[in-house]
Amino acid sequence: MNKRIKNIVSKEWKTTFGNINSGLFITLLPLIITAQALVLIYLAMNFAGADVLIKTILGKGMENWVNLFPELAELSLIDRFQVFFFAQFPFYLLLIPIMIAVSFATFSIIEEKQERTLEPLLATPVRTWELLLGKALAGAIPSLLITWFCAGLFLLGITWMGSAHLLKFVLNAQWFISLFLLVPLFSLLAFMLGVIASSRANDPKTAQNIAVIVIFPILAILGLQLTGFAVFTLTKLLVLSVVMIIAIFFVLHIAIRLFQRESIVVRWK
Amino acid sequence: MSATIETFNLTKKFDNLTAVEDLCIQVNKGEVLGFLGPNGAGKTTTIRMLAGIIAPTKGYAVVEGIRTDEEIERLHEIIGLLTETPGFYGRLSARENLLYFARFYDIDASQQVDKYLKKMGLWERRNDKVGTFSKGMKQRLALARCLVHEPKVLFLDEPTAGLDPESAKEVRELIMKLREEGRTIFLSTHNLDEAELLCDRIAVFKTKLVVIDTPQNLKQRLFQRQVIVELEEVSQEILNAVNGLDFVLSVTKDGRRLIIELRDFDKNRPELVKSIVERGGNIMSVFEKRHSLEEIYLTLVKEEQEMRA
Repeated sequence: MNKRIKNIVSKEWKTTFGNINSGLFITLLPLIITAQALVLIYLAMNFAGADVLIKTILGKGMENWVNLFPELAELSLIDRFQVFFFAQFPFYLLLIPIMIAVSFATFSIIEEKQERTLEPLLATPVRTWELLLGKALAGAIPSLLITWFCAGLFLLGITWMGSAHLLKFVLNAQWFISLFLLVPLFSLLAFMLGVIASSRANDPKTAQNIAVIVIFPILAILGLQLTGFAVFTLTKLLVLSVVMIIAIFFVLHIAIRLFQRESIVVRWK
Repeated sequence: MSATIETFNLTKKFDNLTAVEDLCIQVNKGEVLGFLGPNGAGKTTTIRMLAGIIAPTKGYAVVEGIRTDEEIERLHEIIGLLTETPGFYGRLSARENLLYFARFYDIDASQQVDKYLKKMGLWERRNDKVGTFSKGMKQRLALARCLVHEPKVLFLDEPTAGLDPESAKEVRELIMKLREEGRTIFLSTHNLDEAELLCDRIAVFKTKLVVIDTPQNLKQRLFQRQVIVELEEVSQEILNAVNGLDFVLSVTKDGRRLIIELRDFDKNRPELVKSIVERGGNIMSVFEKRHSLEEIYLTLVKEEQEMRA
C-alpha cells in the first residue's frame, strides 16, 4: 500500500478505535445484524413452518433456487427453505459494511472540516485520490473483517440450530464468491460513496441522508432473490463483481472530481 | 537578489466579489514580507493562492520557480503553511498529530517531529492529547507542523491572532528565529508592531496592493521628517522667532514641546537649535519625531478608501 494511504488509514484507525462509542458501534452493529438473521430464520422455521412459507412470495423464490440447484430437491421442504435462507446471508451481510460506511465514511471529511485540519492537510503533498482512498479503506477494511467474522458466527449459528447437515448445500461457489468478492467490493464502494457524501455535505446528517441511498441496491438484490424475481447464479455473480470493479474506479474518478478543494476550504464555516 | 515568491496580476473572484485584484509583488530569498490589511482585505485568499490551496481566477504566482496553480504537489514539498486556525485532531497526542502530517513528506518523520517538539518547547507535553492544549500551545504546535519538513518558504496567516500577550511574544520570538535561519516568510498580520518588528518590507493590502516598502521608507514617504525640541519653557518670543526662520515650514506647540517641520531636516537642525538658544531658550532635548506604523497604515488605508469613493 502507498505510504501516504497507509498513513491516512493508520490515523483514521487511531481516532476511530480510540473512541469507545465508535469501537462499540463497529463491533455491536454487525453482531446484532447476524443475530437478527439467525433469529428470523429460526422463527420462520419453527413458528411459521414450511407449509405456510410455501404459500407466500418466498415460496416462489425458494422454488427458483431449487431449480438452479437440483440436488436440493432430495431435501425436505423445511430443509429446502433453510438452505434457501442460509444462502441469502452473504447478501444480507452486505448491510454491515454499508451501515458502518453510512455512519463513519460520511463523517470522514466533515470531521476534518469541523476540526479545521483539512486546510493544513491539503497543504501537504497528499493527492486527492490518496486522501479519498485512504479514508475509504480505513473504514472498509475493519468492516470487511468484522463481516467475515459474522459470517463465521452465522455458520456456528446454523450448527447450533441443528442444521449442520445443510452446510454442504450452503457453502458453494456462490456463497464464497459473494462473501470474498462481492462483500469487499461493496464495502469499498459504499465507503467511497460515503466519503463523496462527506466531502459534498456541510454536516454529518446531510451526508448520511445522501449515503443511505446506497442501501437500496443491496435491498433490491436481496428482495429480488427472496421473491424469486431474479436468482444470482455463479455467472451473474461474476458479472456483478466485474461491474462492481468498474463502478469502484468510476466512483473514485467521480469522487476526485467532486472533491473541490477550493469550495471545501473557502465555503466551510 | 532573486525572487522566491512572485505574483503576476494575481486575481481571485468569488462570484461577483473580487477578493484579490491584480496583485503583483516579489518577495526575495530570505526576506520577511509583512502582508498588512484590515479584516476581509483578501490576505487569507492571497495566502491560499500562493500555497496552492485555491486557484486564481486570473494571473498566476510562482514560488521557488513552481507555478502555484499547476504543480501543487511539488509546491507543497517546499512550502509550509500556518493556517489562520490551528486545526488538530483533539483525540490524538501532539506527537501523533505531527507524525501524521510529517509522514506525507519524504523525511525521517520521527526524528523531525522530535526535533520540532523540542524546539517549540512542547517536548514535555508530547504525549498529551491536543484537545487539552491552550491556544498558544496549539499555535506553537501548528508552527512545528509547518516546519517539520524544513520548507524553504513559509506562509504564516495571522500567527499571533487571538493569543494572549505572553503566547504572542513566544510565537514572535520563534518567527524571529526562523528569520535568522534565512527562510523566506510571507507573514499576514494586522498587528502593526509585529510587522515592524519582524518584517524587512511591508505590503499594505486591501483587495489591491496599496503600497510595498520597508517600514522606514514608508514612514518617510508619507510624513515629512519632523524635529521635536523640548524646552524648559516655551515663550511667545521663542515661538515667534522659530516661526520667523525661513527654513521652518511649520511649527506646532505641544506643551513644552515644539514640533517643527524643516525644509532640510539634516542641514537646518543645528541652525534651529542655535536660534532657540540665542533667544534664551533652555533646550532639554532635541529628537526626531517617530511615526508609528499604525499611523502609516491608517493613513494609507484611509487614502485608499477615499480614492475608491
